Amino acid sequence: MDERMVMGRYVAAQSWVHQLDPRAKLTAMVLFLIAVICADYSLELAVITAFSLVILMTSGIPLRRYGRASKPLWPLMAFMFLFYVLFEHNGDVWLSIGSFTVTSEGVLLGLYAVWRMLLLVCFTSILTFTTTPIELNLGLEAVLKPLKLIGVSPQQWTMMITIALRFIPTIFEEANKILKAQASRGADYEDLKLKEKGKLVVTLLVPVTVGAFRRAEELVMAMESRGYVLDAKRTSLRYLTWQGTDTLFILLFIVLTAGMIIL
Amino acid sequence: MIRLENIHFQYPKREALFSDLKLHVPRGQWVSIVGPNGSGKSTLVKLVNGLLSPDSGTIHIDGTLLDGESVSDIRRRTGYLFQNPDNQFIATTVRDDIAFGMENRCVPRADMKQRIDAIAEQLGISEWLNRHPASLSGGQKQRVAIAGLLVLNPEIMIWDEATSMLDERSKQDMLLRLRHLHKNQGLTILSVTHDAEEILASDRAVVIRNGVIAADMSPIQLFEDRNLAWECRLQPPFSLALSLELREKGMDIGLHHHEEELMRALWPSLHVNK
Repeated sequence: MDERMVMGRYVAAQSWVHQLDPRAKLTAMVLFLIAVICADYSLELAVITAFSLVILMTSGIPLRRYGRASKPLWPLMAFMFLFYVLFEHNGDVWLSIGSFTVTSEGVLLGLYAVWRMLLLVCFTSILTFTTTPIELNLGLEAVLKPLKLIGVSPQQWTMMITIALRFIPTIFEEANKILKAQASRGADYEDLKLKEKGKLVVTLLVPVTVGAFRRAEELVMAMESRGYVLDAKRTSLRYLTWQGTDTLFILLFIVLTAGMIIL
Repeated sequence: MIRLENIHFQYPKREALFSDLKLHVPRGQWVSIVGPNGSGKSTLVKLVNGLLSPDSGTIHIDGTLLDGESVSDIRRRTGYLFQNPDNQFIATTVRDDIAFGMENRCVPRADMKQRIDAIAEQLGISEWLNRHPASLSGGQKQRVAIAGLLVLNPEIMIWDEATSMLDERSKQDMLLRLRHLHKNQGLTILSVTHDAEEILASDRAVVIRNGVIAADMSPIQLFEDRNLAWECRLQPPFSLALSLELREKGMDIGLHHHEEELMRALWPSLHVNK
């Protein structure tokens, strides 16, 4: 798989976060999301940042790795910042050129939005960095179980996620092969202009997409031939065990979220 | 026993592929299904596994009629190995992939673990159990896929060009395993193949051409009929090709498809001296 693709990859290490039950981590992530949304001031965001840093630094994974995980979203963050700067007109005017004004409130809200986004991306990366795909799936299936009441099948969702995770390396490998084949015929991305690169991306997307559909068809047959029936009762090789540290972990997040809601 | 009677099958918006196809395979027999590309070989074995349903006609597996009710039970007794190993893995580790079929059949966890360890040891794949299937070579992937099937104790094994994407060494290794399974476990084998050695290792060759069984004969007879073999895009192994050539030239030393046998037939003294 492409080594630059950091986001969403499991990083093996021996830390207390790695040992946590995925159900605890998933629940904590939801609580964290609520806490970040409820944090309106820099002091609240600073408290959440300090809280996050303690957990990230003890996760056995270098902090820069979390930073790299946020890299693909930097353009989105820049867009969010600009959006606030351009469209928020409250506060002191810092700069005014024609109809374009930059206000103190616009810059502040833009910074808060970027801060929140960074916190969310870096902290939620802890879930995928410290949980194997199999554990994550088991956790998701357990957490989504209540959705059965409204007719949504958690098994279907987790099976889709399993297959997606299973095929990520295969599709990357296939894309690489096609890229190399194109390069061997003189179409090297490095030497091309942006417009031509765009055209080549289309020629890459078509065979990869067609290949993915072909694979999907055969995969369905392989699954059926091995006895898979949608929503039928199944046993599982893996199982999850809830421990005291999981309860403690959740409690920490409950306190944090409650604090953000009350303040 | 596999029994296909009066099978009619047609893919949507295409001409009928099979009309009135009949095939009987006794229990424990190894049958090679051969024929030109697009002749319906893979469709035939998919019908046997219930992956496709005939428009009319009946399929019986050990006396059980293959229909909507019995299909899962029949699939439990049938292991299907696909051509491309990459497209048949579901899980993100070898261990979980082997477990997939057992999970679908509600095998208890302790039993699953035991069976995975046993099959992994038998096939020499214990070291790969925690690896991602994508990190394995083609031959290794097919071995893992076989483990995923054998762990379910099938009575029938279907190989759908399972060795066609492998290198020569992996192909030999797979063939050795298939021979072993046939001999020691008495599995009924249906093998769609273009590989001469695989065909020669089987008990019977069924040639499908334009959706009908054009020939049903022993593998040696298939290679003796040069036109038919050519039509099926089959090339006999060197020893057999030489034996056939010598016979045509008036020197009948018998038909041999192993180098050792051929040498023995050509130079008996060489063997005695040895």
